Amino acid sequence: MDDLIRHKDQINRHLQRYGVKFGIYKNGEFREQFFPFDPIPRVITAEEWDSLEKGLAQRVKALNLFLKDIYGEKKIINDGVVPEEFVYRSPGYMAECEGIVPAGGIYSHISGIDLVKGKNGTWYILEDNLRIPSGASYPLIARMLCRRCSPATFQENHLLDNRNYGDLLRKTMDSVNTGGLNVVFTPGRYNAAYFEHSYLAEKAGAKLAEPGDLYVKDECVYMRLAGGDQRVGAIYRRVSDEYMDPVAFEPSSLIGVPNLMSAYRAGNVAVLNAFGNGVADDKGIYYFVPKMIKYYLGEEPILHNAETYLPFYEEDRKYVLDHLETLVVKDVAEAGGYGVVFGDKMSEEELARMKETIQAEPRRFIAQEVVDFEDMPIVMEDGSVEEHKADLRAFVLSTPDDTFVWPSGLTRFSRTSGFIVNSSQGGGFKDTWIESR
Amino acid sequence: MTRRLDFFYDTLLEFQTPVTDHEFVLSCVPPSFPGQEIDVTDFTVEPGAKLSRQLDPFGNLLFYGCVPTPHTSFHYQVKGRAVIDHSKSDGEGLMPFYKYQSKYTKPSSEMLAFLRGLVLPSGTIERAWALAEAIYDYLTYLPGSTGTATKAEEAFSMRQGVCQDYAHIFLSLAREAGLTARYVSGLPEGSGETHAWCEVYADGKWVGIDPTRLKMTDEGYIRIGVGRDFGDCPMERGVFHGVTDQDVKVYMQVSEQ
Repeated sequence: MDDLIRHKDQINRHLQRYGVKFGIYKNGEFREQFFPFDPIPRVITAEEWDSLEKGLAQRVKALNLFLKDIYGEKKIINDGVVPEEFVYRSPGYMAECEGIVPAGGIYSHISGIDLVKGKNGTWYILEDNLRIPSGASYPLIARMLCRRCSPATFQENHLLDNRNYGDLLRKTMDSVNTGGLNVVFTPGRYNAAYFEHSYLAEKAGAKLAEPGDLYVKDECVYMRLAGGDQRVGAIYRRVSDEYMDPVAFEPSSLIGVPNLMSAYRAGNVAVLNAFGNGVADDKGIYYFVPKMIKYYLGEEPILHNAETYLPFYEEDRKYVLDHLETLVVKDVAEAGGYGVVFGDKMSEEELARMKETIQAEPRRFIAQEVVDFEDMPIVMEDGSVEEHKADLRAFVLSTPDDTFVWPSGLTRFSRTSGFIVNSSQGGGFKDTWIESR
Repeated sequence: MTRRLDFFYDTLLEFQTPVTDHEFVLSCVPPSFPGQEIDVTDFTVEPGAKLSRQLDPFGNLLFYGCVPTPHTSFHYQVKGRAVIDHSKSDGEGLMPFYKYQSKYTKPSSEMLAFLRGLVLPSGTIERAWALAEAIYDYLTYLPGSTGTATKAEEAFSMRQGVCQDYAHIFLSLAREAGLTARYVSGLPEGSGETHAWCEVYADGKWVGIDPTRLKMTDEGYIRIGVGRDFGDCPMERGVFHGVTDQDVKVYMQVSEQ
């Protein structure tokens, strides 16, 4: 480990050269920022991983079944498990996707599940990211650089290999491919995550397509290639739903593939992840995920949500209004750590105003007990070590037959003393080691 | 009462400079469903393009196509016969989302206050009618005062608009008042411009109401598109390469056979 710490600056220099950065919106302005790497890894024991792996696979299986149900039969609504307003008022719900069953019935092929480990040793799910979760390339590249800098570290420590991510991605794309190329679709080289898009395309053996490279003809997608255009069977797109098809969705989008929706609806191309997944990773729907697991799988949830209250239910509303000063309140329409307020940070006046808002619009919020999650050691500029909050994004890949949890993950830490750990709000990342025994 | 109608619908888009790679989807052909039987006798798109036909989740007929070559006009025409019989209407296409506000219909606080000021009867149709009356009295019909992107709250605060705005405001207030309601575009008996109205779901079937003309729709209305609001069913959508001004001419005619 000391050996890795010695190589911290060197690894970061390499990462910078790779272009490992991310974009953030702050005060209405977009800027890009280098994502600093901390050499002290998060270490997860084999035993701990066993339960995490099972719990994550279980959760993602249920979420995929939920999406299939919502855009199909709607049994979970009709059976009164999920109130319909949480579905139809969700900004992520897309009526355009009703009745469309994507290839293989899978909606969330690549899921990014964010967790934290409480000081009591229990893992809690923070949120599910089922649209275009990013970040798998960070630990992938960092591990490679660490191996290069300090091979001995990886002989002394027995870890599960994380170099199989590209293979998993290829397998996932192949499993739903309708015949043709596998393509990673990027908004282009000016996108902050371009390095990740190009890196993953290379690792998965897929073509990297930029806006203008893909077109639709007779309900099929083709890629323009020097040697002749070729049919596309699967698109791992890193562009959000509304920009993917300027004819069907946002007409001002210059980066989409016109009439992609016609090929998708006809079942002639797989889109990873499917359109309309936002309905399942909505903060309001989060509350219902443990219920989904019981409903669809008949199993007890292995992993826990943070204790969550839904002001929509009268009983919960009463509790939230009585205990607001100890809770964290989240606006379900916001993402990326925005729209999150901590009761203990609010003035009397702010608390009163928040209570009024919750009473007026109970559907808009969830409230949670604050999880006192663990601090992790971070090596500072001057070489000293400080403790900061850290979370974990686990990547789960789903095919029609199987659910794989990548034995790695993105551990992010905050640079400030706050509880919000999100790359959109600054901070850095660590490697995540899964011990093999 | 059963009515047999002839219909004709024509749209001409003119571009000042040529455009290319024009990808489009047309939703301009009236579909058949219980209460409306359609026989399309002529459907042309110029310049010619291979069309692929799909049905969207709202029940609209979509025709996809592309004109790759330079062109300065885009012209489509539909001609046919319709048999309309409201006694056969049912609840086709009912989806739970018609209960909820959509992109164009989110009510402003001004609209909510307006709604609170109304005394509404309890029956679905009676309630819908009372809302339509209130809107009809409150707004002034003024062509050109709004555009296709105008939302219900914008038209409401201006107190003016065209059929699309009347329909959106109606849907907004109706949904807020607990009704299940949807947007309809189509061809009313007569000639001139296309029209928009609404349907409310009552006793297992859709019932048409026209807030712009303050009447329940009769068998002189031919439905083309349906959705949560205009955004779900414009008759034509498209993107192309080229920087140009575009001019649209629409003409339609519906008459007794």
